[in-house]
Amino acid sequence: MSRTIEQTLHIRARPETVWRFFTDPARLARWWGTAELDARPGGTLQVAMHEGPRPVMRGRFVEFVPYERLVFTFGWEATPGAPDMAPEASRVEVTLTPDGDGTELTLRHSGLPTVLEEETSDGWTHLLHRLGETAERQELP
Amino acid sequence: MDDALRAVADPTRRAILVLVRDREVAAGEIAECFPEISRPAVSQHLRTLTAARLVDVRRAGNRRFYRLRPEGLAEAVTFLETMWSTSLSRLQSEAEQEERAHTGDQDVKGSL
Repeated sequence: MSRTIEQTLHIRARPETVWRFFTDPARLARWWGTAELDARPGGTLQVAMHEGPRPVMRGRFVEFVPYERLVFTFGWEATPGAPDMAPEASRVEVTLTPDGDGTELTLRHSGLPTVLEEETSDGWTHLLHRLGETAERQELP
Repeated sequence: MDDALRAVADPTRRAILVLVRDREVAAGEIAECFPEISRPAVSQHLRTLTAARLVDVRRAGNRRFYRLRPEGLAEAVTFLETMWSTSLSRLQSEAEQEERAHTGDQDVKGSL
């Protein structure tokens, strides 16, 4: 289990126009960051953001359905100040749907790190069990 | 916020956060749960979590008690939420501008 961010917005432009802003490096640079990409399924994507600690996103296109749907993996390169998130750890799905005079864009970013949800590995179970024993020994209220 | 994401990326620190999720736990008790890790190393993890504002610390005499600060985690995800909403609204205005320019060209051609 992990957290997901979902954002939807209406853009007064055709899906074909919006699509180019994800697959053309010059257009990507106008809204996200300096991009190098290989626009095809399995191709890599790298975006250097200009803000804050200037983190570099590295990903790979997983699904590539022109004008409709784009899925890529999302992680930060290990640079000073960049959040620690392994390259294949999270996933961004972009869906473009014709909507009246334009496009409805939905972006879902899933696989984000959380710690509050149950983790089921043996290590966790063991650890929590041990904590329970410690707590009982100390007879905490 | 970057500090928070970095802090939760480490499995030991995630385990500590689970320990202090529901109640305040003394530093010594936390260390006992990690016999394979040295006390100074556990202290370092606790300092990292405190600096990232993921836990609150209360001092009582020479003991320290830690408890999860839930809003700290919300802030870590907020970093990405903010990144997407800021970037996507730029995408929206750029794409609309390009569409208007394109439609404008067509109108000009159509009228000629």
